[in-house]
Parts: sequence; C-alpha cells; structure tokens
Amino acid sequence: MSEAGGGRSYFLGKLIRYSLTLFLILSLNFALPRMMPGDPVVNLLGDEALHNDPEMIEKLRAEFGLDRPLHIQYTDYLRSVSRLDLGYSIHKSRSVADLMAYRLFWTLVLVFPSIVIGALLALLLGALAGFKSQSRTDLMLTGLALFLYTCPPFLLAMVLVSVFAFHLGLFPLGNLTSGGRTGVEYIADVAWHLLLPVATLSLLGASYKFLVVRNSVVQLLEEQFVLAARAKGLREMEILLGHVIRNVLPPFISMVALSFGFMVSGALIVEIVFSLNGMGTLVYDAVVARDYPVMQGCFLVLTVSVLAANLIADILYGIADPRIGRTS
Amino acid sequence: MIWYDRGQILYKVSPLRLAGWLILIFFLLLALLAPFIAPQDPCKTGAPYLPPSSDHLLGTNDIGQDILSELIYASRVSLAIGLLAGFMSIVIGVAVGLLAGYFRGWVEELLLAIGDLVLLVPGLPLMIILAAYLSPSMWNIILVVGLLWWCSTARVVHSRVLQLRNMPFVEAARALGCSDRYIILRHILVNAKEIVYAKFALAVASAMLTEASLSFLGLGDPLNISWGEMIHFAFSRGGFANDMWWWYLPPGLLICTSVLGFVLISMEPKSRGKFLEL
Repeated sequence: MSEAGGGRSYFLGKLIRYSLTLFLILSLNFALPRMMPGDPVVNLLGDEALHNDPEMIEKLRAEFGLDRPLHIQYTDYLRSVSRLDLGYSIHKSRSVADLMAYRLFWTLVLVFPSIVIGALLALLLGALAGFKSQSRTDLMLTGLALFLYTCPPFLLAMVLVSVFAFHLGLFPLGNLTSGGRTGVEYIADVAWHLLLPVATLSLLGASYKFLVVRNSVVQLLEEQFVLAARAKGLREMEILLGHVIRNVLPPFISMVALSFGFMVSGALIVEIVFSLNGMGTLVYDAVVARDYPVMQGCFLVLTVSVLAANLIADILYGIADPRIGRTS
Repeated sequence: MIWYDRGQILYKVSPLRLAGWLILIFFLLLALLAPFIAPQDPCKTGAPYLPPSSDHLLGTNDIGQDILSELIYASRVSLAIGLLAGFMSIVIGVAVGLLAGYFRGWVEELLLAIGDLVLLVPGLPLMIILAAYLSPSMWNIILVVGLLWWCSTARVVHSRVLQLRNMPFVEAARALGCSDRYIILRHILVNAKEIVYAKFALAVASAMLTEASLSFLGLGDPLNISWGEMIHFAFSRGGFANDMWWWYLPPGLLICTSVLGFVLISMEPKSRGKFLEL
C-alpha cells in the first residue's frame, strides 16, 4: 500500500466508523420510545400527554404517525432530525431544539476549559510525580489523585460549594451571572461564577490522566534510550522534556480526546450542583418530570457533539503523526 | 512506606492491597450485619430534619428517619448493585475478549467494532435515557450499568488472549486435538485470570460510581435506597441548601472509601503499585 493511500484509508476508516456510530445512535433514539415499556405516545411526548382525553390522545397518535408502518415512521424521523426538529416538550411548552439552543453553548463553555486545564495539570504533575517517583511529592500527588478518582462528581462539587461559597463566601453559590452587566464586566462576572465548576471538573478529569501519565513516565525512565541519554551527559531536565515527555505525548493526546465523553457526563452532574443553566439542569428537570422528548433530544445532541469532537481529534492526530494508519 | 522495592516480593501481600481488602471486609460486614449494627429501624419515621444528637448520631432526614441506620442499610443496596453490575459487565467483557482474541478474523473485527462504538458514546446520557424508560428498580440499574461497561474489559482480555494464543502450550493442546472450547476454558482463561480479577474489582468500582450518579439524578430505586440516592434526597429536599452536612457527606465518603477499596485490591503486586489501566 502506498504511503498516501495508507493515510487516506485511515481517514476513510475513521469516517466510516463515525458515520456508523451516528447511524446507530439515531436508530436507537428512534427505537427506544417505540419498544420500551409504556405507551409510545407517552414515551414520545412525556407524562403530560396523558392528561389529555382519549380522543385527543388518538389524534396525537395520528399526528405523530404512530399508527403508520415502522419504516415510514423511520424515514419521517430521519427527515425531521435533519431539519433539527427534535420534537416538542409539552411540559415546557417549547420545542426541544429551542430549549437546548443556548444551554449547549454553556455546557461547552464549562467543558472546554476544564479539558484543557485538567490535561495540562495531569501532564505537568504526572511528569513531576513520575520523575520523582517514590518521593514525598509523588506520594502526596498520587494519593490525592486516587482520592479524586474515587470521588463521585456531585460529591466533590457539593463539598467545594459548601466550603468556598457557603462558608467562606469567596464565590457565588450558583448561576451563571449576577445579571445587569455588559461588556468586559459581564465576562469577568461569568468567569467568577464559572471558576468553581471549572475547577471541579478539571480536578475530576485530571485525576485519572495524572495516574496514567505518572505510570508511563516511571516505565519510560527504565528504558534503554534514557540510559543512553544519561550516558551522553544530558541533564535530567533535558531527558525528561526531550525524550520522556515526547514519548508520553501521542497516547496522552488521544486519551484526552477520548475523555470528552466522560467530561460531558461529569459536566451534566456538576451543572446541577452549581445550578448552571446548561444541558445538565435541562436533563435533570426532564428526568424529574419524565419529559421524554427533552431527554432524547439532549442525548442525541450530546452524543453528536462528543462524536464530532472525537472525529476532529482523530483527524488532527492523523495529521500530527503521519505514521498513523501506515501499514509498515 | 507504600511503594516497595523491586523483586522484594512475589508472595507477600502488598500493603496497599491489604488495605483494600480490610476496607472491603469492613463494608461486607456492615452490609451483612446491618440489622444488628443499625441503632434503629431505618424505615421508622419521627421528627424530621433533626441535627446530630445522642438519639440520632447523624440526625434525621426529611421524613424523620434515622440517617445513621439508613446509611448502614444503604450499604447493602450500593454494594449489591456494584457487585452484580460489575459481574455482568465482566462476564460480557471476558466473553467478547476471549472470542475476539481466539477466533480472529471477522469475529474479531465485528466484536471489537461493537466495543469501539459503545466506547465512543458518552455513557451517562445513554444510561439516563435507558434508566428513565425502564421502571425505577435496582435490577434495571444493574442491567443498564452492566450492559454498557464491558468495553475496556473486552479490550484488555483481547490483547492478553492475543499474547497467549500462539504460545507453545496452546499450540501443543491444539496439536493434541483438543476442542476450541476446552482450550479457551482450560488454558487461555486460566492464564488470563489475574487480569480478569483485577478488571472485576475495577468494574465494580466504576459500576458503584455510575450507580451513584444515576441515583443522584433521581433514577434510583425508591424502595431500595442506596448511598447515591440518600445524597439525591439530601440535595433535592433541602439538606444541601441548609448546610446539613451530616446528611450528604457520610454517604459520599462511604462511596469514596468503598470504591477506593476496590481500586486498591486491583493493583498488581509485582510492579510496584502500578495501576492497571483503569
């Protein structure tokens, strides 16, 4: 296989894989309300639909095409999804797409800085702990990371709110802004409100990556090429930065990309504790009210964003490391 | 000293693992002996929202139940869900890993592709939607968590099987005319068992954390209260807003400790407290 062809088939393979996942997710989203226990009308419209009289329910059934054969329902469904028509929430009397429009933005505002900060934190501290393995710094950092890894997201968020916002009064208890501000002041206010949630999510994301980086650095330091570098008279810092970290980076980057789904899951929970108006609070309200259209819409949108982020990361990774996908 | 020197031990139990086992034995006793340890009946109601006192060491909740007793009984639910969901995910993961690694070819391609697909989808939103459609019960939570947490086990077992399948003793067994089933069960599975045990402990830890998040969102079993669900009630019924830390902090710390126990026993004894790929 030629080298360029190897690269192309790598991207093609990725593209096929992601399209297949997207197709499966869409099908799952179509199938769930129709095959799960309960009346599909309720599953598609939420519990509130039952408050209508039987005649109205039959009318709704016809309107949503539930009396038609499945394959026609399926093509109709795909058509409406492509128009970004994700259904209607009777509970909130608004269309699901409208409900999600700006909430997705805020969830991403929470997730992206957390991924970057968490990854940098994990890389720096993990390299430090691995480099000085068995030292007191290493023990403390590893212990802390292990504790954070075992900590459910909502617990860490609750403890941070309780200590820093409730008792010390350093940060707001929740919400995105105090309101009534514009321009730079508004952005500073939002940053102040988002500091604790971003810190929570960064710490949660960093804990697992820290453990992985630390272990790979410890392992790499035993390799022959490190011995050779030492024999060559390189300083320890040069070895760490130029030889060890360089080898940790490629798998680390793909790990960070794959953690996007985990971070979105964490963000949903963190948002609820900090009562931020993002996807998490929307999902929470929908779960409490059994508002199925909103839940399904959120699931679809979150999954598609995670897939998109992973696809972009995969493409960047393929460009950054041309060895990928080449069959040697 | 937590980290020990290389080559020092093969047979001695590492202190970290020992700590993990002690933690787990403590929780197992707590769950099994709950009726004898709990000071009161966890279902008995009384005066609500009491702060800790000599009568109620951790106060009472919104319907006046003794929080300490509820906490002790909840250990049964949390551990049972974690162990059963972990077991289910390990059975699926090991089966997929063994079949994919042993038979190769299109079986491998298909099984690994399915695993990759499940791995790509963000777990929590999918579990929320599945749990919301099913009726809220302990068994449905076990089913949802167990069905979606097997991919990393399958990958690790698969790569171990790839190492094993061309080893001389496996080839010898094949030359002797042993059936595939016999080779997989008697030779390959046996040699992968350490990975399976470690992965089982980690799967239980992940299952407990996932269950806690689902219960926190209010998708738990209302008849079998778990630690995560206690925090859900503390959060949604004023315990958190009124700073009643004795209500939400103890169940949270018990989740952390028990998960830590499972993570600790999964550590490899040979390579200096190295964490298996989590």
